[in-house]
Amino acid sequence: MWFYMKLAWRNMFRNKRRTIIASIAIGIGLASLILTAAVMRGMVSNMIKAATASFLGEAQIHGKGFRETGEVEQTINNLAQVTENLKKEDIVDAFTLRTISMGMLSSPANVNAVMVVGIKPETETFLSKIDDAIGKESGDFFKGDNPREIVIGSKLAEVLEVSLGDRVVLTVAQAKTGDLSQEMFRISGIYSFDIKEMDTGMAFIRIEKSQAMLGIGDRVHQIAVKFKNIETASLKEIPFWEKYSIDGNEAVSWITLLPQMKAVLDMTGITIGMMVIIMGAVVVFGIINTLFMSLYERMFEFAVMRAVGTRPSGMRKLVILEAGALGVISIILGLILGVIVTLIFTKTGIDYRGIEFAGTTIHEMLYPEMHITDLIFFPIGVLVFTLVVGIYPAWVAGRMKIADALRKSL
Amino acid sequence: MRRSTILSALVVLLLFPVSIIQAETAKVDAKEIVKKMDELYRSSSSQATMEMEIITPHWKRTLKMDAWSLGMDQTFIRILSPKKERGIATLRIDNEMWNFLPKTNKVMKVPPSMMMGSWMGSDFTNDDLVKEFTFIDDYSFELTDVENPQEGVVYVKCIPKPDLPIVWGHIIIAVKEKDYSPVWQKYYDEKGKLMREMFFKEVKTFGKRTIPAVMELIPTHKEGNKTIVRYLDAKFDINIDKGIFSLRNLRARI
Amino acid sequence: MLMLKIAFRNIFRQKRRTILTALSMFGGFVMAAFFIGWSDGAYNNIIDMFTRNQMGHIQVHHKDYLDRPSMYKTVDNLPAIERILKETKTVESWAPRLYSAGLASVGEKCAGVRIIGIDPHQENRTTDFQQKITQGRMFSESPAGEVIIGKGVAKVLNARLEDEVVIVSQAADGSIANDIYRIVGILESGDEIGDRTAFYLPLSVAQELLVLGGRVHEVALTVQHLDDVRGVNRQLQQKIDDPKLSVEPWQVFARSFYIAMKADKEGMWIMLVIIVLVVAIGVLNTVLMSVLERRREYGVLKAVGTKPSQIVKMVLMEVNILGIICIVAGTAVGLLLNYIFSVHGYSLPEPLTYGGMKFQHMFSEINARSFYIPTITVIISATLVSFFPAIKAARTDPARSMRMH
Repeated sequence: MWFYMKLAWRNMFRNKRRTIIASIAIGIGLASLILTAAVMRGMVSNMIKAATASFLGEAQIHGKGFRETGEVEQTINNLAQVTENLKKEDIVDAFTLRTISMGMLSSPANVNAVMVVGIKPETETFLSKIDDAIGKESGDFFKGDNPREIVIGSKLAEVLEVSLGDRVVLTVAQAKTGDLSQEMFRISGIYSFDIKEMDTGMAFIRIEKSQAMLGIGDRVHQIAVKFKNIETASLKEIPFWEKYSIDGNEAVSWITLLPQMKAVLDMTGITIGMMVIIMGAVVVFGIINTLFMSLYERMFEFAVMRAVGTRPSGMRKLVILEAGALGVISIILGLILGVIVTLIFTKTGIDYRGIEFAGTTIHEMLYPEMHITDLIFFPIGVLVFTLVVGIYPAWVAGRMKIADALRKSL
Repeated sequence: MRRSTILSALVVLLLFPVSIIQAETAKVDAKEIVKKMDELYRSSSSQATMEMEIITPHWKRTLKMDAWSLGMDQTFIRILSPKKERGIATLRIDNEMWNFLPKTNKVMKVPPSMMMGSWMGSDFTNDDLVKEFTFIDDYSFELTDVENPQEGVVYVKCIPKPDLPIVWGHIIIAVKEKDYSPVWQKYYDEKGKLMREMFFKEVKTFGKRTIPAVMELIPTHKEGNKTIVRYLDAKFDINIDKGIFSLRNLRARI
Repeated sequence: MLMLKIAFRNIFRQKRRTILTALSMFGGFVMAAFFIGWSDGAYNNIIDMFTRNQMGHIQVHHKDYLDRPSMYKTVDNLPAIERILKETKTVESWAPRLYSAGLASVGEKCAGVRIIGIDPHQENRTTDFQQKITQGRMFSESPAGEVIIGKGVAKVLNARLEDEVVIVSQAADGSIANDIYRIVGILESGDEIGDRTAFYLPLSVAQELLVLGGRVHEVALTVQHLDDVRGVNRQLQQKIDDPKLSVEPWQVFARSFYIAMKADKEGMWIMLVIIVLVVAIGVLNTVLMSVLERRREYGVLKAVGTKPSQIVKMVLMEVNILGIICIVAGTAVGLLLNYIFSVHGYSLPEPLTYGGMKFQHMFSEINARSFYIPTITVIISATLVSFFPAIKAARTDPARSMRMH
């Protein structure tokens, strides 16, 4: 066996040009697979981020029934215990508490219905991008300590005809009694996502203020969670969901909150599958091509080998090992190429922001994400492929009739 | 402000009557002036027939209604015309409000969410609809001058006390010196832009009181919107059957 | 034309080599064609399903309606518009709608709702409305007094079928609009937020309630093929030609969805580039090898007097002829593949849920892109790659070429 391996290896290098060309071709195939997987992951990440990072969060915890009715009395049960647990949770990167209620925001010019979100600035900034969406000239996200600060979207500011520092009045209905609660606020920040719904419908105030206005003590309606790994939220089987869906609460991932996104993601998953198949096919063609070419060219040589006594099994071994050798060289080349190219893109990102409309403020570059598993899985796959593909030429080589072969010439 | 806010403003004025008292010769202190003006309509009870004309860029309507009030807490209104709305009644007791719609024969309690939610495609300002008119306590007052002052009229600048849920920057009230009846009220935002005006006209005597019978509310920066309320008849400090302020009365057919 | 004959014969002389080279060109072509047809199909599937669910492909509104909706911003001459839509052959179906806000109450409970006036017949045809009714039924032929509410509305109001609902709103003439209806159906459209406020009335009933006779706020329409959308949109803009109205495609009124899809499609484009690259390299590999291997042959040709330029020509011709044959064959097979998948579709291992609808069956698409992109790829890569070795071969000293190997 060892003999054949040495022979196979040396044979590969005899026709350097062909070997190099073929292995480059296959190597590029492998590199493409690595790059594609990384790009795909980056894309998926981006999509999830786009959907969740601006405000939603990757998972949310509510009191059961809150999502359907939005009733102010439906707060999270056992809040202290839940937050304790979340703090200790390994997979959780950050979480933030919010109150959510409908209200009316009035200015001297107009009045509008809004979703009032009471937040804790210190933790909210880790979860949502509202603070990032506030331009330099448009104030800030609760950097001061004035409890009467309110942050609204640009479209809402337009409707109400207000700007930074202006005075507005917020009206909400208290829990249980339904009595109205009104307070004065001053616009301290105006954000813009360039998405109508987000820029019109929400108003942010400090959570202590909203809790006081709603009369819910220190209860909250929603906990938004961000995981350390963006893929965690798409895993259905992790204990997280059950753990936080007790005591009359429910924990759901963004997939439940945004079912449309899931569809797009599934699509992407299927696409990756397709790509792998197609690239696999191309790689296969490349390998078959090379092996057969080398086979037919060296027909004479093989015939001689047979003539001096090599058995068909030996011939087959040789061919397969040559295929293997080709595979190994290709893998090495492919890995080097793949890793370098992907690493470059990982640092620089892929910029495809050339979309027709003005770019939205959260439009991100695509950063491919390479996983070690790719670097093991794919090369092994290619090697196995190579060997498998080599079976046919090997079989042909074994069946060759010596006399015919000797007579053949290119 | 939208036309519907004017509507609501007027509804509020009916539900939460601004009280303006009879004239008394008193010292010319800004706060005192406003107080006296505030008390002009205050009464232990009242009954009035009024007309409300609403003008918007899209339509024009005149509603005629009867209104009863007891103290500051209870009010009852029934709409007399136009025919489509005849029989619609509203009852307010403290913070709660009920509507009766004869067409559907339904008494509906006005929920807090309706007070705040986008109702009828409109926007009700809470300033007007819900808030108790606690003018005296919410502002600080000082005498002021205006361009083209009228004879016999004093002008008071009202500045909202800090941190109160009021959207205005300041309000200027024009009050007649001799009987403290209001002439006009002008509302400004914090930047000093005139946002709405209210004019009081046609002073008439109803029983023992002399008050402006017509109130005109004009939002200055929205074209074509105006609301005019006319008292056709009014009686103050009379005996009123408490039974009027009941859910049962909502359903009474007229 | 001797060159051509020689080129042809060269191709068929060395069957094995030809077949191998051809295989990679052919295979690569088919793969690329299939991928494009498949991914374009899948995307268009999703876009189509999403837009057909409720919004339609194109919408006609009062020109300011989308920016700041108001009851008064209406589309007034519906019959004229419907006539135009009927005439335009690429328009598949349309549905007029009227929107307003109101307060609905059942017993003691009330909730803010969105009143939606629909033409039952048209709505069924355009957005398959009745499929979404999970309890009860669609409007009857004389639907006065009937209402269909969204699942969320039913929940908030604690309402069931046959319950009576009172609706209060403000009519367009300022009067108070109110009436009482019977719940005949409860609807689940997949849009949970929409279902929390959906209050469907027959259009004529809604128009009467709100004193908006003959007026609507929106006409949503569908076209036969998603690709026609922009074209039809332009067409309709010209035909309708009313400065008060605007005709907009889904890319405008469903902008956030569009951006999401576009971003995804852009990503797909990267994938395509990679695939094309890989195919090109496959072709490169084989063509290069076959050309290089025949250096000895070229040496002989030169020795017997063939001009260098003729050799280059011959090589290029061979490669291109082969390429063309492969492209033709590839087109045929690719077309077949895409056709099968576009007509019969394929089933997904796991159903895609979108807008409350489950899609298990998707379709590929037959389009020009899936053919001209692979064609260009194959030809360019093959030609490019044979160019340089051909020149090199043509230039080498015959004696040296013949001594090679």
